[in-house]
Amino acid sequence: MASIADIKGAGLGLKRELIPQIQSRYQTPEISNIQFLEIAPENWIGAGGKSAHDLAWFVERYPIVCHGLCLSLGGPKPLNTDFLKQVKVFMTEHKIPLYTEHLSYCGDTHGLLYDLLPIPFTEEAVKYVAARIRQAQDVLGQRIGIENASFYAAAPISDMDEITFLKAVLDEADCLLHLDINNIYVNSVNFNFDAYAFLRQIPKDKIVYAHIAGHLQVQPDLLVDTHGEDIIDPVWALLDEAYSLFGNFPTLLERDTNIPPLAELLPEIIKIAEYQARYRATQKAA
Amino acid sequence: MLFQEYQAQFTAHIRNPQANRKPARVADSRMAVYREIVFNNIFASVSACFPVCRQIFGARAWRKLVRGFFAGHGSETPFFREIPAQFLKYLSTQTIPEHLKQLAHYEWAELHVSTMHVETPPLSAQANLLSEHPILNPAHLLLAYDYPVHMLSKRHKTAEPAPTHILMYRDDEFEIKFIVLNAITYQLLKHIQQQAISGKQALLEIAKTLQHPLPETIIEFGQQILQDLLQQGAIIGSQKLKIIKSP
Repeated sequence: MASIADIKGAGLGLKRELIPQIQSRYQTPEISNIQFLEIAPENWIGAGGKSAHDLAWFVERYPIVCHGLCLSLGGPKPLNTDFLKQVKVFMTEHKIPLYTEHLSYCGDTHGLLYDLLPIPFTEEAVKYVAARIRQAQDVLGQRIGIENASFYAAAPISDMDEITFLKAVLDEADCLLHLDINNIYVNSVNFNFDAYAFLRQIPKDKIVYAHIAGHLQVQPDLLVDTHGEDIIDPVWALLDEAYSLFGNFPTLLERDTNIPPLAELLPEIIKIAEYQARYRATQKAA
Repeated sequence: MLFQEYQAQFTAHIRNPQANRKPARVADSRMAVYREIVFNNIFASVSACFPVCRQIFGARAWRKLVRGFFAGHGSETPFFREIPAQFLKYLSTQTIPEHLKQLAHYEWAELHVSTMHVETPPLSAQANLLSEHPILNPAHLLLAYDYPVHMLSKRHKTAEPAPTHILMYRDDEFEIKFIVLNAITYQLLKHIQQQAISGKQALLEIAKTLQHPLPETIIEFGQQILQDLLQQGAIIGSQKLKIIKSP
């Protein structure tokens, strides 16, 4: 069984387009910086054929994290515990040590909408979401990570800001933080707050690993979290700041749309590893 | 709870902006992002599964159909690959030509066979298709339609009704294969799919149904068909019949 300690260094979100390219370069120096992978359980649980065949190949060779999309932690329907039980079996079977989800919701009373929607930041919502995270942790028998999600529309009924909400949920649910650096930046532009001030309030001990990604600038004050572009410099700077504040932590590149050949993604993975090494060096010197 | 009332307004508006107003005091330019990305995501998931239907309906009609599905559907599955099945269910409630409903099913079947999880049963070392139970490739669907769905395309948007039987299966390389069957072969495969009977028993049943004067001819003919299907990987081998002791 891989453990959370095996999740380290730089990682890459596993997309089907990238599978043959990773396989053909396996154990070459070119991709040695890819130290762990992430999959969406909604795409892999119960899937046979090529998916099952590929998954078997990867679980033998890489530590893998489950990063979910459809649990709808903030949604109105009862938590899908049948699905969580399937996640648990899947994680055991494939030696996957960690499951993370978004601090968002993705459906209504009619069903799922398959996208990440913003939970209003209210005291009631903190209690509601934290209880559901606890319930999920009870079903899985382990702590889960919660990702700070990107969003585009502020709820006028919110009675606190995002970082207060995030910290309150983390406390109340006693869960881990899956820190998304790009989402901090995207939200800071969309809602005009100071990304660095947000970052400084992150509870360091809760961080389990991080995401970094590119986004799309639609308006000067509107960024959409497409995971389809190169990472921009201000986001790199924020990652650098996070390492200097908290020490380095495992960090994974997400690229979900507009996926280029693997060779074009490798510089970003190498850059993550270089940032991490830089911090490791200063840490030793200190 | 107040936040849930807000969420209900938020999602109702995304599903159907014409019928449901956005929540008060939320910038329309920002709601527009959600109206667009949530629908586009579902539209892409559905459309990827039904390329021929989409072409036959045309861009505008297809979009309208997916819109209707999006506005009112109640999909519970967290598994993305199952979204097309939910759309198929929705299509069955719509007034669209029957041949297109069947075509949609046929397109969904390809996705289903490519991703279905199967276990390979134990097989005899040597395939004995007549004396043992012939085993179909476990990743298969045996399909029957009232229209030649496999002939439909952008250039052939309609077809006269004609009973159409297709065996669809996944080969060792994960490619999806199609074999168009005649009605008798379809019956033969139904027999061996549903019951643990030998190839010979299945063929004798066929001969009986046909009231064929020379069952031996049917067996000879059928053996050739089973052998061909074995060569194509549609049948993967055979299993000894379980001996049932008489009381």
